[in-house]
Amino acid sequence: MNFVVLAVALPLLAGFLTPALGRSSRALAQWLGWGTLAVCIGVLWVAWARLDGGTVAIAIGGFRPPLGIVFYLDAVALLFGLAVPLMALLLWPREGTPQQFALTLVLTASATGLALSGDIFNLYVFYELTAAASFGLIAGRGTGAAQGAALRYLLLSAAGSVLLLAGITIVYLRTGTLNLAHLATLAPERLQDPVGLAAFALMLIGLGVKGELFPVNGWVPEVYGSVSGRLAGLLAGLVSKLAVLVVVRILVLIFPQPEAAQLMLVLGMLGIVAGELAAWRARDLRRQFAFSSIGQLGIVFVAFSVPGEAGIVAGLAVALHHLLVKPALFLLAERWGGSIEGLRGAGRGHWLASGLFILFALSLVGLPPLPGFWAKLLTVMGLMGLGTGLAWLGALTVMAATVVEAAYLFRTLSVLLAREAGYTSPGPHRGLDLVTASLAGLVLVGSVFALHPLGDGLKAMAAQAADVQGYIRTVLGDRAVARRGQREDRISEAHPASRGSDRPMGRADRAYGWPAGSPTRGARS
Amino acid sequence: MMALIVELVLMPAVAFVVGLAMLLMMRKIAAKIQRRVGPPFFQPLYDVVKFFGKQTQISHGLIHDVGIIVAVGGYIAAETLIPVPGMTGIADRTDVITLIYFLMVPSLGMALAAGQCANPNASIGISRALTAMLAYDIPFVIVIFGMSWMYGTTNLVQMVEYQQAHGWGLFQAPLLAFAGLFALQGMLGKQPFEIYVAPAEIATGPMVEMGGKYLGSLIVMQSFSLYTAGILYTTLFLGGGVTWIDFLVKAFLVVAIPMTIAFQFPRYRAEQMLGSLWKWPVLAGLLGLAVVMWS
Amino acid sequence: MTLLDGLWLASALTALAAGLFGRSPSAGPWLTALYGVQFLLVAFMGPLAYGADPVPASPAFSVLGYGLSWQFTALSWFFAVITAGAALAAAWFMSGAWGRHYAEQGGDLRLLQLALALNPSTMYVLLASRDFLSLFVGWELVSWASFVLMLAAGGVGVRWALRYLVYAIGGAMAVMAAMVLSHALTGSFEFGALAAVVPDLSAGTLWSLVILLSGGFGVKMGLLPFHLWQAGAYAETPGPGSAFLGAISSRMGLYAMLLTLFGVLGLGTLKALSIPWTPLEAHELLAWIAAFTIVLPTFTALKQNDARWLLAWHGIGQGGYMLMGVAMGDALASAGGLMHVFNHATYQAALFMAVTAVVYRTGTADLNKLGGLVTRMPLTFLVLLVGIIGLAGLPPMNGFVSKWLIYRALIDDGQPLLFVAAVVGTLGTIVSVYKLLHNIFLGQLRVEHESVREVPGSMLAPMLALSLIVFVTGLAPGLVLDWLTTVQRELGLAVLAPTLGGVERPDGGLDMLWVVGILFAGFGVGALIFLAGGRARTVHQLDNYAGGHFLTAEVRYHYSDNFYAGLMHRIGPWYRGSFQWLQDSVVAATDLLAQAAAGVYRVVQPAAWLLGVTVLALWWVAA
Repeated sequence: MNFVVLAVALPLLAGFLTPALGRSSRALAQWLGWGTLAVCIGVLWVAWARLDGGTVAIAIGGFRPPLGIVFYLDAVALLFGLAVPLMALLLWPREGTPQQFALTLVLTASATGLALSGDIFNLYVFYELTAAASFGLIAGRGTGAAQGAALRYLLLSAAGSVLLLAGITIVYLRTGTLNLAHLATLAPERLQDPVGLAAFALMLIGLGVKGELFPVNGWVPEVYGSVSGRLAGLLAGLVSKLAVLVVVRILVLIFPQPEAAQLMLVLGMLGIVAGELAAWRARDLRRQFAFSSIGQLGIVFVAFSVPGEAGIVAGLAVALHHLLVKPALFLLAERWGGSIEGLRGAGRGHWLASGLFILFALSLVGLPPLPGFWAKLLTVMGLMGLGTGLAWLGALTVMAATVVEAAYLFRTLSVLLAREAGYTSPGPHRGLDLVTASLAGLVLVGSVFALHPLGDGLKAMAAQAADVQGYIRTVLGDRAVARRGQREDRISEAHPASRGSDRPMGRADRAYGWPAGSPTRGARS
Repeated sequence: MMALIVELVLMPAVAFVVGLAMLLMMRKIAAKIQRRVGPPFFQPLYDVVKFFGKQTQISHGLIHDVGIIVAVGGYIAAETLIPVPGMTGIADRTDVITLIYFLMVPSLGMALAAGQCANPNASIGISRALTAMLAYDIPFVIVIFGMSWMYGTTNLVQMVEYQQAHGWGLFQAPLLAFAGLFALQGMLGKQPFEIYVAPAEIATGPMVEMGGKYLGSLIVMQSFSLYTAGILYTTLFLGGGVTWIDFLVKAFLVVAIPMTIAFQFPRYRAEQMLGSLWKWPVLAGLLGLAVVMWS
Repeated sequence: MTLLDGLWLASALTALAAGLFGRSPSAGPWLTALYGVQFLLVAFMGPLAYGADPVPASPAFSVLGYGLSWQFTALSWFFAVITAGAALAAAWFMSGAWGRHYAEQGGDLRLLQLALALNPSTMYVLLASRDFLSLFVGWELVSWASFVLMLAAGGVGVRWALRYLVYAIGGAMAVMAAMVLSHALTGSFEFGALAAVVPDLSAGTLWSLVILLSGGFGVKMGLLPFHLWQAGAYAETPGPGSAFLGAISSRMGLYAMLLTLFGVLGLGTLKALSIPWTPLEAHELLAWIAAFTIVLPTFTALKQNDARWLLAWHGIGQGGYMLMGVAMGDALASAGGLMHVFNHATYQAALFMAVTAVVYRTGTADLNKLGGLVTRMPLTFLVLLVGIIGLAGLPPMNGFVSKWLIYRALIDDGQPLLFVAAVVGTLGTIVSVYKLLHNIFLGQLRVEHESVREVPGSMLAPMLALSLIVFVTGLAPGLVLDWLTTVQRELGLAVLAPTLGGVERPDGGLDMLWVVGILFAGFGVGALIFLAGGRARTVHQLDNYAGGHFLTAEVRYHYSDNFYAGLMHRIGPWYRGSFQWLQDSVVAATDLLAQAAAGVYRVVQPAAWLLGVTVLALWWVAA
């Protein structure tokens, strides 16, 4: 399975070639990019097919973990890994310069790496690479607003990286390793204390900059408001999710203490409130979508903060739904940018675009049976299944956010479809944008007819992702699992309370109807 | 069945005759208070015959006619819903709630007729009449509730039977009886609650365009309404009647009280009327209700 | 394929046809025929109302391990027959001249037809739901369908539709919370599972369920304090749409309440649930909310100067009677509350159509700009008259019967204050609807309306048909009450034993056959007396007493504005707009919060936030 490394290496290589190639022929550079991405998709697809629901760890260069660099492949990693080149292809900067092609390719490589990587140091490297690539892309548009936004982004991103690095340093000082599986075996013993928690907090905030976590997402409205719809779609839809994915990996594998999840829950809730309310007040369509994306990522964080499979199922559902919908909305906003009031009647006559907008808005608000509803339902069920006051508050926030969301999305729609004439159109939507958005719409509608298999697939995926023992076994072999088991026993004898959330988790699992003793049961029991 | 049909015919007929007599009594009382002689015995009948026989009959359209028919016809029908000595009509098949809503049908008829007259004075009169209804019906329904609760029935026939076995409602629920009497004053549209007629201000309000048989019908309607109010109060509070004699004496007495009070008073404005009817009788009614329900 | 499948298919086909061909006014009759097919299919399920076995739907889904299934029972059927009837009447009304007129005026007829068709289709889904998941799916579909219908008008309607949406989604979220709570308690979305554990639940949990369910569904019903959206949203919808919405749409809330609060939790549970430190129980609390919903909106209606708004406000008030009847829960009251659903649908649809007919001919629903139309539109007048008698609840129309049942039950139960509230609502309605009738049809005809004619047959026919139903079911209420016994049995309520004319009981029953018979006999005698008088001559409307002035057509001689001046002198200051104030405050507070939230993203140094939150997080970790 070592060929999977190609999915990271090839775009990186192509990325370095493209500027040079682009000097002689822009078209050639573009075709190189497309070809590379197509190959990446192919590679990951083959990996997906071969993996067939299992998990596998790849030691790069033949060094066995925990010494070497590791890729960890499971269904979640491959799904997001597959989404990266796919979306990069769909949201390719067609009118860009070869430099932008190159940056997009680098972004693809680093984002794929984020999805697949199995040790923290690599994650950090890929994370920095992603930041650099997206910084270049944002600034690349050349307008003053974009450059200001890029500066803001750079500043926050850099500060976030420092925090992330600080967190990683603490972890390394404590355990002497950065391999996730190895950490998972050591964590119960060495990171179950305030210092460990502090490391998590630092990493959460550091990664949160890109994951649009409140309140370190100050760059979001500026950036999404000033860059092209395609890039905004790529950043909001994909890159943010990968940052969240990394957080979730760390949370599940290394920080099973309930306080860590609580921190994420609280910040997520604040993000929902801030994002949705700001979106409600926003008077500019792209900024509205940007704020809405902050709110949606808040929901993603809140959902993932539910321990056990329940949380992962819900989080994956919300994240995937947003991944599908938000880029498409940004594409539609390409022609409808600027002040919302200025768009009076803009949607009339553009029925495909308006129809898609309505469809996405309905799904975001959660009209059953559209997928957005099931994602929201899973989130609320997960939270309320916990039964704690904070979780109830979280559920309440998610539901209140829905009301706000409906209010502003449909207010915007009513402006778009108003009967009054007087709007001067900058031209119809670009065909490709519409096709891409329609594709998203088709997938959305199509998934309604495949709810049953999709639900089962998500559950299986979540079970796999929540299975810490499985992760350790895949990377380190069976002995390591036994070691962690012994350590956990020792810990639980010493600090019974630190074992975390047995009671609420039990309820959550019961709430999902999974048998209590099933082998796939949550990671932290 | 035959007996029932006879009752259904007789009850309105009696009501008509007694109602005219009550009308006469009202005018006599007014005369006595104002130290006049008053009209002769058959004056109300003469009035009716005269109005119906007049040559100039002015209609303002079909609804004007239909409204008048509904006003008179509604009362004729309503008379069969209240039991009188020896006759129950269809009182057993309905109840007091039906009756109070039934009695709004003739009022609606009159409102339609007055509205069709296309005279603002008439419309103002109707608006005030409906305001008055809102005023007096609130204490009145409290009374209805209290008495129904006390008697354990809404059937008027059973109410009479109960009182004849256990004593009059007047003595068992004096506060409610007072509230009922107060509401009756408004219901009959007598001073101080006659703002909707106000001859000097809105030219007799709903009646402004009525002449001939239209006005005659309204006199018939008024006599019916006097009779209905009298016997309803008698049935609710004074034990109905064993014989026609004591029944009619009670009914006449009941009607005489508001008449006597009326001619001592000036006219209240609409808001004053609402204020007084929503204050004293409602308070008394609620208090009486509390006594009835928790004793 | 079951009848229910057929109904779903027919309603989906209607929506499809409306979407494809709705633009052309000539498609109207065909669409009406399709609604007729829906009505027939519902009618074929009629045996349900007499105790036949439930009709299931063939499709059944399983999502995330939870099954969704649907079936029609007597309760579903009762609401479905009203829905089908109202949809048929509304479609019929717009099938001819009205639709053409609407399209000529620049209205989007296709959108209106489609929106109208979507409403019954989604309602049939909701009405068949038999578990929380399918209930919620249906609930949301219905909410969105009515949103589309409200949007159809454009203009002011959009603002009201958006306000509705906020309320509706808020309500839906409350329902979702209740559903998820029930799932957390039972691990399933089945009604049966919740019903089984109800006896073991704590009072707190039960209260949460009751409040979430009644609040969530109450939004749709326009229960206080969630009523502010309804009048505007219904009134500003194009005529036939508002007739349909006013007739049945908000009753879906009652249906869902019946299904969950009464069908699942059970009346006994509500009766056992007492409010601490008060003598009230949960069902009485509902009845009291209903009482306020009756009185306040009714008196708000009294102040309206637009006929459609007036009717829409009354619609909210009448919803209170239904809930009050059902909440009291005994045989009489619940039959009254349920029958009022039917009655209200019939007369409210007729009333909205009559007002729409007036708007069609005169172009306005402003009660200060009409008058005297009875001579020009006598049949529309008749419809409006029958309708308002029904709405006001006077004999001989059906509205009286349902209200009588409620009054009678309140006397039985010893609820004097609720009784007074119910009667005050009725009195307020009488006062208000007379104004409606008077200001449109009575008084002086305006010059510009001299040439107004009666509306064409395609509009008259459904109105007259509805009026006939209002009268016939008033004459023989047993026709409807018979269905309700089955519904009562299904919900586990006490069962009424109706007769054709009403209810027979020694301590005060009701036999409408006799009441109506006597009334019309009285009218006959009255007519004879009237005809015995001299022959009348009809005069022109300006041949009128004017205190010595000479009347001409230029002088406005019609009393309409501030119709109840005297009443308003007294009660005018009581209108405080408290609920509006409350709503505005919530919006203002949200706006303030939103400003703060937006402020977060305007800071010059976002990195400072990052630093701040890091310090905070570390402090929290250390603590």
